[in-house]
Amino acid sequence: MARMKFICDTERCIECNGCVTACKNDNEVPWGINRRRVVTVNDGIIGQEKSISVACMHCTDAPCMAVCPVDCFYRTDEGVVLHDKDICIGCGYCSFACPFGAPQFLSKGAFGSRSKMDKCTFCSGGPEENGSVAEFEKYGRNRLAEGKLPLCAEMCSTKALIGGDSDIISGIFNNRVATREKNGKYPGSKAFGWTTAYGGPDTPAPTPTPAAKIPGAK
Amino acid sequence: MKFNFKTLGLGFAAAALLAACSEPPEIAAKAAKRPDVAPYMGANNGFMTKNWTPGNQASWTESTDKRTQGQNEYSRVK
Repeated sequence: MARMKFICDTERCIECNGCVTACKNDNEVPWGINRRRVVTVNDGIIGQEKSISVACMHCTDAPCMAVCPVDCFYRTDEGVVLHDKDICIGCGYCSFACPFGAPQFLSKGAFGSRSKMDKCTFCSGGPEENGSVAEFEKYGRNRLAEGKLPLCAEMCSTKALIGGDSDIISGIFNNRVATREKNGKYPGSKAFGWTTAYGGPDTPAPTPTPAAKIPGAK
Repeated sequence: MKFNFKTLGLGFAAAALLAACSEPPEIAAKAAKRPDVAPYMGANNGFMTKNWTPGNQASWTESTDKRTQGQNEYSRVK
């Protein structure tokens, strides 16, 4: 079993916010929290405006997990980062640690009091009985346990957002990029940094730096 | 019987001191992580897809992998 991941293809995202709406509706996410949102850069610049759908990236080395003072996070065998709302104290550390702004809190109290943290669960619920009402009320739908994939990805009309086993979705994306390149778009780009991030066929495997050579490492 | 303020004061002091002995501890029980059930065990609702067997990890993986490939329109249009 590989790891579950999302990929958003910026060449295809049309900023329709369908993923945002689908997530909010299916999980009955309260007002004030968007587990998924679409970010647009270079707004209005012809040819350079790009949109990307962002949510929890279910990091391999998740900073939210690292900073949580009550250790409420856990990672499933499928690589999904989840948390236990019964343990969360709503301190907000995870929100500051996350580079994507995924952990969010309802602030409806008079003195800015925060609720328990809420974030994307890759539609896989939390530590309650799979598919139960308790799980739905705290974490939203558990589509993985129903044999499905996250709704945001499955309903994306342009298939800009795809989610699932990382090996499969990276294969789908790489195939798209190769086809684009073959058809003359971004010639020579090699998947927009794909080789930089993952290496090409001739790239040797990276050699880990010994801890002794890293200043401050033990 | 003559009313004695000293005895009354001692009585109150003793009651206040002994009251502490009956207070329940106010330390919250340490919240423990609960184990989560794997998705391949299935969901207890009526929204399950039909093409896999709950409890069988291999069939769940095969089913979701096939579903993931369903997002690849290249394979769908060819």
